[in-house]
Amino acid sequence: MSDASAPTLLQSLSPGHQPTVEENIERGEIDRSTRLPVLAFFTTSIIWLLIGTVFAMISSFKLHSPEFLGDVSWLTFGRVRPAHLNTVIFGWASTAGIGVTIWLMARLCRTRLRHPRMLLVACGVWNLGLVIGTLGILGGDSTSIEWLEFPGYSTPLLFVGYALVGIWGVIMFRFRAPGHVYVSQWYLIAALFWFPWLYGSVQLLLIVHPVQGSIQAIVNWWFAHNVLGLWFTPMGLAAAYYFIPKVIGKPVHSYYLSALGFWSLALFYNWNGAHHLIGGPVPTWVVSASIVASFMMFIPVTVVAINHHMTMRGKFHLLATSPTLRFIVFGAMCYTLVSFQGSLMAFRSYSKVYHFTQLTIAHAHLGMYAFFTMVMFGSMYYIVPRLVGCEWRSATLIKLHFWACFYGVILMMLALHIGGFLQGLGLNDPNKSFEMITNSTIPYLIGRSLSGILLTIAHFVFAYHFVLMLLRLGRPQGEATLFTTPALSTAHDKTEPAAL
Amino acid sequence: MLLVTTIIFLMMAAFGAAAVVALFWAARDGQFKHMETSAQVIFDANEPVGAVTDSFPPSQKKTSKTASKEKQS
Repeated sequence: MSDASAPTLLQSLSPGHQPTVEENIERGEIDRSTRLPVLAFFTTSIIWLLIGTVFAMISSFKLHSPEFLGDVSWLTFGRVRPAHLNTVIFGWASTAGIGVTIWLMARLCRTRLRHPRMLLVACGVWNLGLVIGTLGILGGDSTSIEWLEFPGYSTPLLFVGYALVGIWGVIMFRFRAPGHVYVSQWYLIAALFWFPWLYGSVQLLLIVHPVQGSIQAIVNWWFAHNVLGLWFTPMGLAAAYYFIPKVIGKPVHSYYLSALGFWSLALFYNWNGAHHLIGGPVPTWVVSASIVASFMMFIPVTVVAINHHMTMRGKFHLLATSPTLRFIVFGAMCYTLVSFQGSLMAFRSYSKVYHFTQLTIAHAHLGMYAFFTMVMFGSMYYIVPRLVGCEWRSATLIKLHFWACFYGVILMMLALHIGGFLQGLGLNDPNKSFEMITNSTIPYLIGRSLSGILLTIAHFVFAYHFVLMLLRLGRPQGEATLFTTPALSTAHDKTEPAAL
Repeated sequence: MLLVTTIIFLMMAAFGAAAVVALFWAARDGQFKHMETSAQVIFDANEPVGAVTDSFPPSQKKTSKTASKEKQS
């Protein structure tokens, strides 16, 4: 479809507009139509990943060496830590997730991407909001509400930037090619609906017209927990449900289970957040309802775990040859782990130990990093070559990226789980002073900083590799990674896959 | 506060209704029928079931060896 025949935004939004549905569009053409917006979101997300990583390292070092950069007001712990949190969840994770969502939506709707300029504007506005918000936090304007520290003057920009993406998603879904709606699309459309609901509600209730007292904590944790489960999780699972079968060339083990997983996540997750307030001054029924819902989360998680494992059955050897699969399967395994752990954390007896300790930090990183970030890395390894038209430059760099992430995650999990558990036991022991307990965590915090160094190496290696791809300095296309032209596809069909 | 509460309740109602409508639409549209074959919609003639679609790029050494072999032949 040429630009001249492309529908205007008004036409796309008009309920009466009946577009001609394009059928049998070549997949490479669909990929090419997503190039600019997806690369814009990916590029900015990686810049935010690097910025967030630097903030993470500074925060981590400050926990065991408080004097580090202590005389620079805008780099004090109270500013750098929220700057880290917000740049990684909104700057990196959300921006990368939106990029993957755009690409997947176009592929799964089997149609060319509509209104790319609208997405480019969205990317610009979203990033402007991020820059203003981050500078605001560093300048001392943080709202001091966890996961929502961006000052009030930056959030309208984020909301507008996001709204454009949400509207685009609805347009794409409306004008998709006829046929079945794949499970990944269910997750993506749901995420696009859930995020504005979460973000809009919490802005109204905590920033625009703040509710009073402990209700603030309930609203805060309703958002903070749901942004993981109803924004990042659906995007991550959508990617896993697409890429795992697609890479190994085998349909999902049980499509019934995938539908059950989606609807049970939609039903139960929204109630989970209040389990972070066990023992807090909030109505007991709120916490109890949350504990029950957290336990019910075993259903969607088990379903997803069984489905992914059984899909991979007999294909695990491909982990050695596919970078996408390696990252995504690791992420999917961590999804199972973090979700089971999350359900267990809802129990009052377990909460008694882990609450207010480094275990909570471990849990958050297991979800946001080991699951979501690894799935995003894997998705980018699949998508980027199809957009820039060349292979990744170096297998060694990809392997270095993976193993630095892998060992970084393992080290961080060990350090924070052991340190957090001992810290929790200490906090429940009246014979131990707070100072003694705090000092006992220092070796584990140093371990966390070491893991951060590994992750920093991984991120800079990935960013360097990504820049090479943007500059089209990768390898010429031709391996199994690329199927963008019919000629290549036909050639591939006649030969054994290079990976095998 | 009344305005905020009203907006919040309206949003809750709208999103709740959207979920119910989506479920009914899916059932009526036949999205829950033929589920096992539906899992195959991500495959097509160019990337059929059985085709592996991702691998590490070849190492530089391998590439140069292959290139020199091709030149020789």
